[in-house]
Parts: sequence; structure tokens; C-alpha cells
Amino acid sequence: MEKAAVSSRSRKLSYKNMRKIHGIIFVLPWVIGFLVFFITPLMNTIMYSFHKVGVADSGGMALEYVGLDNYISLFKEKVSSTSVQFLRIFTDENITIFINTPVIVVFSLFCAILVNAKYKGQGIARVVFFLPIVLGLKVVTDLTMVTTGGDITDAAVSNSLDNEGLLEFLVSYTFLPTRVSIFVYDLANNIFSLISQTGVQTLIFLAGLQSINKSLYEVARIEGANSYEVFWKITLPLLSNVTLFALVYTFVDMFLKSSISSEIYYFAFNRNDIGTGSALSVVYLVNVLIDLLVLMFIMNKVVKLTYDAR
Amino acid sequence: MTPDNLQTEVRTATEDLGTELRLDNRLNAYIIKAKLQAFVFRCLFFSLVIGLGFAILYPIIKMLPVVFNDLEDLGNPDVIWVPMEFSVLSFKAAIRLVYGNGLPILQTVGYALFISVIQILVSSIAGYSLGRVEFWGRNVVMFLVILTFVVPPQSLLISQYLSFKHFDPLGLVSLVNGRPVDLINEPFTLFMLALFGFGVKQSMFVFLFRQFFKGQAKELEEAAYIDGCGFYRTFVKIGLPNALPAIMTVGILAFVWNYGDTYYTGYFNPDGPYLSNRLAMTFSSANVNNILYAVRTWYNVPGATTFAFDAVKQAAAIIYLLPLLIVYFIAQKRIVENFEQSGIVG
Repeated sequence: MEKAAVSSRSRKLSYKNMRKIHGIIFVLPWVIGFLVFFITPLMNTIMYSFHKVGVADSGGMALEYVGLDNYISLFKEKVSSTSVQFLRIFTDENITIFINTPVIVVFSLFCAILVNAKYKGQGIARVVFFLPIVLGLKVVTDLTMVTTGGDITDAAVSNSLDNEGLLEFLVSYTFLPTRVSIFVYDLANNIFSLISQTGVQTLIFLAGLQSINKSLYEVARIEGANSYEVFWKITLPLLSNVTLFALVYTFVDMFLKSSISSEIYYFAFNRNDIGTGSALSVVYLVNVLIDLLVLMFIMNKVVKLTYDAR
Repeated sequence: MTPDNLQTEVRTATEDLGTELRLDNRLNAYIIKAKLQAFVFRCLFFSLVIGLGFAILYPIIKMLPVVFNDLEDLGNPDVIWVPMEFSVLSFKAAIRLVYGNGLPILQTVGYALFISVIQILVSSIAGYSLGRVEFWGRNVVMFLVILTFVVPPQSLLISQYLSFKHFDPLGLVSLVNGRPVDLINEPFTLFMLALFGFGVKQSMFVFLFRQFFKGQAKELEEAAYIDGCGFYRTFVKIGLPNALPAIMTVGILAFVWNYGDTYYTGYFNPDGPYLSNRLAMTFSSANVNNILYAVRTWYNVPGATTFAFDAVKQAAAIIYLLPLLIVYFIAQKRIVENFEQSGIVG
């Protein structure tokens, strides 16, 4: 009797442990990949960035320690393949990304709300609103972009829409400061390229919207809230996690599409300057991480504020 | 019930009370106000939906008149939206330049499908384990997944490239082969990356699967254990079939991103038959004059200007988009229906 109890307990323990072992076997491919294809290259990149990399006589790589020289020369002497200084490139990228990310996220939230509502033709609307997943691919945007000779259709359309008129209207007929009007005007001009990056975020927000408990809306209605209040007090606070995910996704995606990646390749293999290329990679990586930390910090503040306000 | 019916009913109900006239007027005003509100709201709403939809479709709409135009009419400011002479020359040129007998498109679709399947398999097992099994160090692995999602692969490009050039992890390869192997320009490199979880945006797929499995009910699996299923059998018989929504979502994203990938294919297998790369190379700005010369001589259109280059390029883009759109239209209904369960919110 006692023996049976002991054996069953030990079997239960071993079952639990077996389950853990099976779990580890399932993650193992990913962990191996992480070690071989992520950590090793990361370490190597950081190492190369402090060295002058050349070819050794025996055929391998010859590393010569140069300290921070690669970083200093990257920002002082080196120029990109289009002869622009790197400080300039990084500042420009960061500014565009910080301006465009919130716009894209707000925009996709808006699209998700439009798609989530019930009306006739909702199916077609969904098909169209998720098309940017396909149309926003870098190849496709590059191919559809007009490279030479100017775009005659665009010219025709912007003549009929009269873009300048929008700026004039904003400046003279609204109370917005001139800077804000110019900002809105710039956004309106870039609307097509901004929209082309919204697909996945719309999907994320739609999933978030559909996961909100419907009874919350009913309660709010019974308590007498209007749609505006429902949006700010129920929809948005409950979407804060999803919003963070969408923001991070947009951020990473914008960095992926930035021009720096081709510069890295250009330095390393067209100019045979692996050291500087690695330094550029490290700066790029640190830049992304710092930007994400700033984003987390801001989001934290905003979420706290909304909680306090409640 | 139409407002008229409502009115007559209300009228008969209130006749006895003798307040017919007053109530009728008030009701009328109320109904008119509500109808007006609804009408204005609908107008605004639909104009928003249609306007945004137009903005999304505009790049495609803009291409259509260009690609069907006669090559010599392009650039003529009198011909913008309606072609004067309908022609499919730009499609013919695009096919002759890039697509040939259709083999490249089949190869690319096959490649994208194959990689997607590998990605789904690897991400789903990793996600299942992360979401369901409480093994030692699970939270650490989860943190690492998020870290790899955030770090752009470009920053690892140089040393990844060099390590593939002389591929020798832990000295294992040289132990067997005698010397490191060169894996650049082998399709095998791309498959290997996907197999170990580092294909196109694969960290995100792992994350999605983890969220999905975490949110699923455990009862079915527990029942399977009690009935004598092992760990692997439970995963294959219960876990995977229930994960269909997540598989659909990840599958379509993986297909689209692998089909359109220029980064991995471009750097690790530049001579491969991948369309995305071929298109980017063929229609690079250095090639404008060659393509124009080819088009002029092949189809005897000496008047073709640089606009003709754009027309051919856009025709190629439309052909390139076709498989994507087909897959998208087949799958989109199921994705959108199942998306609420597919794990992003977990």
C-alpha cells in the first residue's frame, strides 16, 4: 500500500519533469538558432567594430585592434554611398520615424474602427483595408513608384485636388498655428506612402477591438455615455497593450525599411571596410534600442495618465 | 417597422386620450431628427470608408491606364485616364524581360510556400512549448524572443554573411568535412535560417503562436493525457488542429513576406530565381536605357520615352502581385473571421 503510493508520487513527479523536458525539446531548435544565428553574429559584429579587419596570409581574417577609431571615422570622415554624412542620415531617419509612427498607428486604429463597425459592404471594406499588407511590401512600393520623367497621373490628380489650396485654407480659415497647418499639409501630401504601411497594424487593432467585452459597451450606454465618451473611457484604455504592440511593430518595421541597411552592405562588401560597416551596424542597433526605450517611457507615462484620470 | 406604421399605431393608441395632435407633432419632430442624424452619420461614415479605400487603392488605380496605354502615347498630357489606343505591349515586354515561360513565378511561389511551411512548423512548436509548458527558464526564452523581434536583422548582416561564407559552427563542419563550407548563394542557407527560427520576422510568429496557445483552454489536452496520449501525440492531434486560426494568420503573413522578401534572398542567395530580387535588379535605375532600347527594337516603337520604362515596370509589378492577390483573396475571409482568436491579444 505504502509502496504503491510512493511509486505513484514518483511517477507523477517524473511525468511533470518529462513534460518539461519535452517542452525544452520543442524550443530547442529556436534556442540553437538563437545561439548560432543571433548571439554569435551580434558578438562578432561588436568585436569587428573595434578592429581593423583584413585578410590574413593564411586565408582567414586578420584582426587589428584600433579601439574607437571606426566609430570616430564613421561620423567624422565617412560618407554614405550617396555622399551624405551619417550624422545627418541618422537624425533624418529618427525624425521621420518619430513623426510617422504615431500617425501610422492612429491611422490604423481609425481604419480598424471603421472595419469593425457593422454595415452593408463590410466584407469588401475589410478586403480593401487589409490590402496594404500586400501593397506595402518594399518591392511593390519600389516597383509602383515612378522613377523617371515625372508622374503625369499624379500631376493631373494634384491639379484637380489643388494641394496648395489645402495649405491656404488651413492657414487662413482655421485657428491652427501655421506650423500645425504645414504639418497637416505634409501629412496630406504623404498620405499614400503612410497608408501603405498600415495593414498589419490594422489587423492587430481589429483583433484588440474584437476582444473587448461587449457588455462593457452596454453598461456605458445604459449609464448614458455617448460614443465619444465610450471611445475615450472604454475602447482606448482597453487597447493600451495592443497599442504598445502596434507601436513597437511600426517602429521596427520603419527601421527595417530605412536606407541604413544597404549602407551597411555597401561599406562591408563594396568598399571592403568591414570594421566601419560593423561600427555602423552597432550604432544602428543602439539607435533602435534607445528609441524603443524612449517609446516605452512615453507609453508608460501616457498609460499612467489615463489611469489617473479615471 | 417603417415610421409611417409607427405613426398610425401611435395615433390609434392615443386617440382615446385626446392628445392626438400634440403627441403626433412631437413624435414627428423626433423621428425626423433621428432620421436626419442617422442620414448625416451614414453619409460621413461612408465617405470616410470610401475615401480611405480609394487612398489605399490609388497606387493600383493609377497604374491601370499607364500599363494599358500605347507605349508611344505615354507622356502625352492629353492621355491620362483613358487610353486612346488599348495595348498590352507593356505586359508582353515585362513577360519577355523577367517572367519568361512562367518558370520563375512558379519557383518563387514554391519557395515561399516551402519556407512558410517550415516557419509555421518551427514557430508553432516553439510557441506551444512557451505557451503551455512551464519548463525551466521559460521567461528568459520569452524575453529573448522579444529581443530578437526588436533587433533589426540588418545590424547582424556583416557577421552573418561572413559566418555563412565560412560556415563552421563550433568547429562541427570542419570536423566532418575537413574545412568550413561556403553557404552563400545556396538556397539551403535560407531554409536553414527558417528551420532554426530566424527567417523573415519569425520571432513575431513565435510570439503569436505563444499568445494563442496560452489563451486556449487546457481541458481538451488534459483529457487527451488521461486517455493515454503522449506529449507529441497531444500536440499533433489536439494542439495543431485547434490552432487553425493562428496557422492561417501566420501562414498568410509568412507567405506574403517571403514572397516579397529582398533582404534574405538578396544577400544570402543573390543568384537564386527569386522574383523580388530579379525585379529589383532588372528595373534598377541603371538599367533604364537598356530596357528602353530593348522595347524599342522588339516591338518597333521608336517613340517610346522614359515613360515607357515606367509602364513596363508597372506591368511587371501587376504580374508580380497576381499570386499574392490570389492567395490573399482566398484566405482573407477566414483570417478576418478567425482573427479574434488568433492570438495577438492573448
